[in-house]
Amino acid sequence: MTDTPTPAISTARPEDFFQLLKPRVMSLVVFTAVTGLVAAPGAMNLGLAAISVLCIAVGAGAAGALNMALEGETDALMRRTRGRPVAAGRVSSNDALAYGVILSIFSVALLGLSANWLAAGLLALTIVYYAGFYTLLLKRRTPQNIVIGGAAGALPPVIGWAAVTGSAPWQAWLLFLIVFLWTPPHSWALALYSAGDYARAGIPMMPVARGAKSTRLQILLYSLVLVPVAVIPGLTEMGGRLYLAVSIAGGLGFLALALRVWRSRAGDTPDKAEAEGREAALYDVRVEARPARNLFAYSILYLLALFAALLVENAPVIGACPSCG
Amino acid sequence: MRLTPEQLSARKRRNVALALALVCFVVVVFIATVLKLHDNDAEREARDLAAAEQVQ
Repeated sequence: MTDTPTPAISTARPEDFFQLLKPRVMSLVVFTAVTGLVAAPGAMNLGLAAISVLCIAVGAGAAGALNMALEGETDALMRRTRGRPVAAGRVSSNDALAYGVILSIFSVALLGLSANWLAAGLLALTIVYYAGFYTLLLKRRTPQNIVIGGAAGALPPVIGWAAVTGSAPWQAWLLFLIVFLWTPPHSWALALYSAGDYARAGIPMMPVARGAKSTRLQILLYSLVLVPVAVIPGLTEMGGRLYLAVSIAGGLGFLALALRVWRSRAGDTPDKAEAEGREAALYDVRVEARPARNLFAYSILYLLALFAALLVENAPVIGACPSCG
Repeated sequence: MRLTPEQLSARKRRNVALALALVCFVVVVFIATVLKLHDNDAEREARDLAAAEQVQ
């Protein structure tokens, strides 16, 4: 008689399933989606707006779960991601896949029912684009992965806008463009001081594929395009003086830091944690890589400030529909 | 097959979380339905009012 293999019994906790949703990414998605929703002309019932934002958040989380399900082996090779539930073996990739698919279906369907089907379609597009196109096709094939894949992260404000108006005019795509252009300098600043991880995992991030010098130049070039584009909403009905001030002052700061990265030697040598063979600490880097670290940290603040300014200037619109109750 | 206390505890916590998630989902769908009905009623009333004003 032969021994039958004992089936693996999961010890996954609910927290692991929450981690699959990439809560930090989800919070940025919620913030930009709310901004799109508030900046859109017209008004939406507050309850339906809250449900729409919940759907967008869960949909983005589902895309994160699908990403982790499909990338468990790669994540296990990188210090930054090896603690993730699938990579660490706490959740099986099949469970994560099923979880992501179910959440995707429910979030898209509920957004369609509570807002409209354009918004739901855009959410479905975001999930398929991120989990399918970016994770499976782009990420391992081209150093432009983060540029093209960044479109998925840039769609939430358009979804928020579409949820209110049922349309996606150029103003919504302007918000898309800001996040889209912001993603490369933000991601490459981080990649400059964690390139070893990407190289080990076989991911052709820009510093790995084209080298640190080229990456620093491209960060500067993208910043030179991003900053003027980010000022444009201030010249439209969407933004006012506050937005204009934040986008100009914040943009100058962004350019100054990008210039410092370009002139630095960030990424020329392995990052500090890698050289010392220990866990990576996001902000503990070599002296020469500090400009990249500073730009990475500042870029988050910059995007938050831009969207916060838009939120503040448009906030009174929400719930103002007298017939909406 | 006998489950270890750790496996039993993890399973119980997953089940509770799943039950809560299902309850939340039902509540959200119910709220969305009520709000949509309310919205549709308000829109219809506004349309009827506008039509009545045009006739007058």
